[in-house]
Formats: sequence, structure tokens, C-alpha cells
Amino acid sequence: MMNKKVLICDDDEGIIDLLTVMLDDAPFDVVTEIGSSKMPQLIKTEQPDLIILDLWMPVISGDQILRMIRENADIEKLPVIVISASRDGEKIAMEAGATAYVAKPFDIEELTELIMFYLEAGHKNSLGLEAS
Amino acid sequence: MNTFNNGKFSLSGESLADNFELLTQALDASISGIIITDNLQPDNPIVYCNSAFEKISGYDRSDIIGHNCRFLQADDRAQKEREVLRHAIEKGKHCRVEIRNYRKNGELFWNELYMSPVKNKMGEVTHFIGVQNDVTARKKAEHDLRQQKQLVERKIEERTAELRTSEAFLSSIIHTVREGLLVLDPKFRVMSANDHFLRTFKVTAEETIGKELYELGNHQWDIPALRELLIKILPTNNPVIDFQVEHDFPYIGKKTMLLNAYRVELEGQFKDQILIAIEDITERKEIERRKDDFLSIASHELKTPLTTIKGFVQVLQKIKPADVSEKYSSTLDKVALYVNRLNKLISQLLDVSRIQTGNIELHKANIDFDRIVQEAIEGFAATSFKHEIRLSGKSNTTIIGDESHIVQVINNLLSNAIKYAPDSDKIEVHIAKVSEYVKFSVRDFGVGISPEDQKKVFERFFRGGELQKRFPGMGIGLYICDQIIKNHGGSLWVESEKGKGSTFSFTLPQNGKAKNDE
Repeated sequence: MMNKKVLICDDDEGIIDLLTVMLDDAPFDVVTEIGSSKMPQLIKTEQPDLIILDLWMPVISGDQILRMIRENADIEKLPVIVISASRDGEKIAMEAGATAYVAKPFDIEELTELIMFYLEAGHKNSLGLEAS
Repeated sequence: MNTFNNGKFSLSGESLADNFELLTQALDASISGIIITDNLQPDNPIVYCNSAFEKISGYDRSDIIGHNCRFLQADDRAQKEREVLRHAIEKGKHCRVEIRNYRKNGELFWNELYMSPVKNKMGEVTHFIGVQNDVTARKKAEHDLRQQKQLVERKIEERTAELRTSEAFLSSIIHTVREGLLVLDPKFRVMSANDHFLRTFKVTAEETIGKELYELGNHQWDIPALRELLIKILPTNNPVIDFQVEHDFPYIGKKTMLLNAYRVELEGQFKDQILIAIEDITERKEIERRKDDFLSIASHELKTPLTTIKGFVQVLQKIKPADVSEKYSSTLDKVALYVNRLNKLISQLLDVSRIQTGNIELHKANIDFDRIVQEAIEGFAATSFKHEIRLSGKSNTTIIGDESHIVQVINNLLSNAIKYAPDSDKIEVHIAKVSEYVKFSVRDFGVGISPEDQKKVFERFFRGGELQKRFPGMGIGLYICDQIIKNHGGSLWVESEKGKGSTFSFTLPQNGKAKNDE
């Protein structure tokens, strides 16, 4: 079976670096993207199983991307974990339809567990859909 | 009455002498002084006076008869009434004067003198008859009255001048004050508007005064909630405080106005008037918003690299080889600890800014108070091995409030108790239900707070003098706690003894709001 794929998007290189190192030996593939402008395209081409998304990004904000996903019937169920250092982050993320929200600075164990949880939940969900 | 009978002078006496005697007695019975002077003799001497004249003048008949009347005037000769008298005598006419006369003992009396000439058949004035009344008492009363009146008039003038000055003073204040002021009658019609109001809204007095408040401009004040508050103002005397109106006003565009309204607490003509003060807070709000934006951005930008540092430290901890030294391990742990502290400080700075600008948003929900206290204590028990936190009491109460804020307060108080009692190992927490409030107390057995510092611990950026060196911190934790508790309508206080420890307590109303903002 093919590895699951996680797409990470943040405009801060440090965060991308950290997540890359953090998820180095995770049992799934990681694709990273600095900045949000190419995200709509990347979601189509990469077809990720889960997205980790920052909120405050120039050009297209995280919540805009999130709304776009939720409005697209093909990918509306795609798990998206929003990470943000913004104080209103949780409210904005939940309103835009985030699957989960993690405030920066985050605990790497916690975030890793969350990713694993939603990858598996998504897996089960897709199996369920196939069955019906 | 016909006193002549058959050409003879007759009253009812037997003879002329009898009748004359009767007349003389009648004259003596008069309370008016009566004199007769003989105008045909030189210097017009007095030839008759009745007893009332003796009594009024204080002179004996023997001092009077043969004298000219002027002796009554003593040395007071410059009276203009004398001219009137002299003129009447010269022309042989009637006159009435009120003249200052003097009794024999020198005492002044006011003489109301009627003087009439007696003429013979040839029209020659033979006598003058003077009738005198002592009107001193009346004169004095008149004089007093006049004086009193003058005094009153002077006082009224003074008072009026004072009032005019103070009214001018007050009105200059009203017109100088940098707040728009309106006075409304009980039907909410504008009775007056100050200059600042007219300038703020770029309107004229003509298009404002006499109009109903709700008709002003483009009906900007016609807001149901405001109407409701204003209707209540007269019967209940509940003022309208800090009512914010964001509106696109004619001439001046989109502005935020702060409106306060009070009932005029006066009887009489000002009774039941309403005073409305309107302040343009658009700029202030904008500055606050920018400041808040700035701090939000600053906090976001500071937290982003902090996330990376924290994450990499965790990665380092995770991939740490099993055989590294204890020192290496503990150094790494400390980096993690201080990164967390830095993160907390950044959050607190943002909190303080929001509290100051009043931008703290409360997300109120039902909270099981005992549960959040229990959970907070468990959280500390997991990280603080030295201190044992003992919980007693129960509130069995669900309160309405912002859970994250209240948890923040409990955590802050617990962490202070641990931080400022490094040499003890016991912390006592007590919760209870007190009337319609829940009460939380945390007692430590640490350094304590001096009485003068106890008043200041809830102030922003307050740090107890020697504490600064021993314990790190910015002095905003308790300030934030105090503000949060106040926002929920409760109170936070401390009891402490230096060297023995402190007890911090707070109460929160069950319904999440203070009694007076219902």
C-alpha cells in the first residue's frame, strides 16, 4: 500500500524546517510548501491525505485555503490541522472548518499524535465509503 | 350742620359764650394739633393753639402764643417744604406739607401740616389755621420700608450680578468643554446644545434646538436599545452610561460616539430634564485598534520563531543519545523551560494590552467550578513534585463565565503559591459556595507580603522590591487575574503576613455578572 501523504504549508521557513525534522522518521510522506500562493495547485497535484496549515500568510491566508477545500466536493472531508500563533487563531480556524487546531508554540509529540490520529481516522473513513 | 340761627352763632348752648366754650372743648378733644395765626399782625403770630398742639410740640401754651410757627423747625431751616409754606402764605392758599419739626426737648417729629387761610369779606387773609398730625411713626415706617426696599433691591442686584457671572462662567465651561452636551425636555426634545455638539456634528443651533433627539441628523440616535434606556431615565433615574453608537452621520461620516445621559437632579423649572453628553471616540478607538493590532502582530511574530526553538529543543530531547551526561540533559530541559516562560510572557503582554483597551472578549459558558479547580490542581501535581496541594471544600456550583480566563486565574494563583514558597512543601486550596458566589482561596506558607505591598500587588508592573532579585517576573500576572475576576463581577484579594505566607482569594458570582450591571 502506498504511504499516506501529509502536505505542510507555512510561510515561515523555521517552522517548515522543524516540521521536516520532526516528521523525518514518521510513517508517512511529507511534502512542504513555504508560502500559500501555490497551495490550490499543490492540493490537486499532490492529493495529500492530510494538510497542516498556517493561518497568517501573505497572498492567500490559511482560512481562505481552508474554505476553498471545504467548498470543493472532492476534498471537502480532507483533514486539515491548523497551526497558528495568532490569538484568535482557534476561532478563525474553527469557523473556516478546521479539523483540529494547535496553537504555536506546539508540543511536537502532541502534534505528531494528532496527525497520526486523523490519518487513521481518514483511512477508516475512506474504507467505510468504499464499502457503501 | 347749621351753626347759625337767625344770624347768630348757635350750637345748643344757651349763650354765645357757652357755644364758644363747647367749640374750644371740641378743639381740645382733637388728637390733631390746631393753631390759628393772625395774618394781619406782623410776623403772623400764633393766637390760638389747642391742647393737642401743646402735647405734640411739648411746648406750653405760654411758650406758643404770640410766636411765629417757625420755632417748631429749630435750626432745621433748609427744608424745601418751607418754600411751599411760604408760597402758600404769600398767595393766601391751602397747602399740605410733611415737615420736620422739633419738640421742646429737641426731639424730631414729622409734622403733617394742613394750612388753610381764613379770608374776610374783602378777600383779605386774616388768619391761617394750621392742623398738625404727628406722623413720625408712619414716616419712620415709610423710611424703614424704603430703606428695606433699597436694601433688598441692592441685594437682588448683587445676587443677579453674581448669578449672571456664575452663569456666564458655567456657560463658558459648557461651551468650552470638549464633549457635546444636549439638554432634553421630558419629551426628548432638545432644549439646548453646546458649541462642541454643533461643531462635532457640523450642524446649526436652528436645526437642532426644538427637535426631538431621535429626529436629529439622519435619525442617528433612533436606536431601539437607546430609546429604551432613555425612557427609563426619568422614572428610575438610572443613567445611561457609555452607550456606544457607531454610525454613518450626515456631514461627518462614519464615527463612533460614546453617549452618557443623566436626569437633571433639580426641582422647579429644570425638573425632569435630561442631560446628554456625547463624546467622539472614533480616534481613540482607532488608536486602540492600531495598538492592539500592533501587539497582536508583535506577539505573533515573536511566537513564530519561538515555536521553532521549542520544537527543535524537543527534537533534541527526543533524539538525545542514552549516554549523555546529566548536565547535558538538564541544560536541554532548562532551555525548554525558559522557552515556555518566554511564551507565557508574550501572551501576558498581549493580555495586558487587551485589558487596557477593554478588548478582552469573554466567551461565557457554564462551568463546573469544582471540576476546573480539581483539574488545575492535578495539572500542578504532575509538574511540581515538591509541593503538595491539598484541596478542601466544595462549591457544587455551575457558574457562568469564560473557562479559559478563570482557569488562567487559578493557575496563576497556584503557580504564585508555589513560586513564592520555595522553602515549604504545603499549599492549601479551599473552595466554597458563599451566598450567590463561589469562593476560591489558596494559602501558601512562603515569603508573605508586607502590608504596604499588599495594596499594590494587583497593580500593573508592580514588583515587590527585594522579590525582583529572588523571583523573576514582570509583575503583570496578578493584574491580569484581578482584571479577569472584575470582568466576571467578582473580587480578588490577599491576606498575608510577612515571613508566614499569603492567602489569595477570589469570589465569582454564579450568574457571571456583577449585581449592578443587570
